[in-house]
Amino acid sequence: MTKTDAFIIHSSDEVPRRTLLKRFPVPRNFEVEPASQIKRGRAWPAPAGATRVKEFEIYRYDPESGDNPRVDTFLVDLDACGAMVLDALIWIKNSIDPTLTFRRSCREGVCGSCAMNIDGTNWLACTRYIEETDAPARVYPLANMRIIKDLVPDLTHVLAQYEMIEPWLQTGTPDPGRERLQAPEDRKRLDGYYECILCFCCTSGCPSHWWNGDRFLGPAALLQAWRWLIDSRDEATGERLDKLEDPFRLYRCHTILNCTRTCPKGLNPGKAIAEIKKMIAERQT
Amino acid sequence: MERYRIETPKARAAGLGSARSGFGHWWVERVTAVALLPLVVWFAASLIAHAGSDYETFVHWLGTPVNAVLMVLLLVVLFWHTALGLQVVIEDYVHSGAKVWLLLVTRFACFALTVTGIMATLRIVFEAWAAS
Amino acid sequence: MRSTPDKPARPLSPNIQIYRPQLTSVLSIANRITGVGLALCAIALVIWLVTAASGPQPYSRFQHVIGSWPGLALLLVATFAFFLHLCGGIRHLVWDSARAFELRQIYASGWIVLLASVGLTLLSWLVSLTI
Repeated sequence: MTKTDAFIIHSSDEVPRRTLLKRFPVPRNFEVEPASQIKRGRAWPAPAGATRVKEFEIYRYDPESGDNPRVDTFLVDLDACGAMVLDALIWIKNSIDPTLTFRRSCREGVCGSCAMNIDGTNWLACTRYIEETDAPARVYPLANMRIIKDLVPDLTHVLAQYEMIEPWLQTGTPDPGRERLQAPEDRKRLDGYYECILCFCCTSGCPSHWWNGDRFLGPAALLQAWRWLIDSRDEATGERLDKLEDPFRLYRCHTILNCTRTCPKGLNPGKAIAEIKKMIAERQT
Repeated sequence: MERYRIETPKARAAGLGSARSGFGHWWVERVTAVALLPLVVWFAASLIAHAGSDYETFVHWLGTPVNAVLMVLLLVVLFWHTALGLQVVIEDYVHSGAKVWLLLVTRFACFALTVTGIMATLRIVFEAWAAS
Repeated sequence: MRSTPDKPARPLSPNIQIYRPQLTSVLSIANRITGVGLALCAIALVIWLVTAASGPQPYSRFQHVIGSWPGLALLLVATFAFFLHLCGGIRHLVWDSARAFELRQIYASGWIVLLASVGLTLLSWLVSLTI
């Protein structure tokens, strides 16, 4: 995997080689609560006898110490670990610092556990090649999340928002005793939406969710809301739209489209939300 | 409006429930945007064509019925679109009690500016009539 | 978890402080900034109309201020803001019909908006100065 020089990005896994700005020109601790301000961390020793070494800056937070979060610097032996950022994290945990804490499971980009912010954008650590990262690579937790420890975010609120859109089939028609029938064309409409792994890279990368995340549902929940709205077997479309039509729950989306840019599965939450708005418009006229 | 509350995640996510509205604002913002397309093109073209012209030329130009009507339409639609856009901006960034007052002041200011602009336009129209 | 006397709240991970600016977010905030800027220009429009309605002297005073170097610089910036918001707005209207959401289309339309805004700004000033 290499970085792209293209001006036009075709898929979300493309990592641009050139960047004008690595971060927005705001103070490092712009609007950050004192307890969340990141202090300088420690530099961990280089591995002995390693020839190919890469520097990683990793966000750390220890809830038991009561200290502020900090950024530690690790030097990773690239010949001793796999090709992905997750492999580097596992190597660090095995060889350098066993207290480094992160979620992981499938290591193949289907479970969503290892979602984190790598070099300023949200992605899965297990599908981001180390050679695609900056020098030094910067590994932070998913943006705008309460942090339990190190790279582990508290997903309680975003999961509650997901639960609120009622992600299950709602029917009044009694159980037919066999499958509820669905035409192939109708099943096709779910493609691009059912594949969401709920990693929350999109919601965590949405500036509107940063400023209004308590009330704005965010792209992940709204993408799933759309998935249920267009499921032909579902009979609660009207009620679903009633609950979505709210200046904050739905209409805080201003089509910023960080979500579509960052989805590690190549899905399109921005489009889903536009379709929801269009469906609401359609029932008005 | 940050105060300490003990609430379940479900209650926090649900808030005060859905307002069951929001489409109206979204729709009118787009309608005014579409209406603005021809109006601002007319306005920009007029500015480009008449840049630096003197007082009499300007009064004569604005005094013609077509331009006067378009200017009034521009003022109405522009400040309507502006009021809606600024409302969204304020709702996004202001979460204190000042939000309501800011929203009111912005809306009132847009209305007052519309009326002021229309009155000024009408005054110029009468000037043009008187001069002709 | 909010703060309680015995247990500190969990820290919030950085958001805008570390998130990479991308074409998506940059053009979006530019559309908002130009929108607010144009709201100020709308106020200026009303002031301009009021000075014109007040007679030739107030009008020529206003023209004098706009015609000064800082005034012209501001007008140039306002022109760019106008075209950026106009082209960005059209891009938004296309999105509102749920079209052009593929990533390559988002990027292509984004660059077109940027280039068209620069081009139209230069074109309008050129035409205006040579007419």
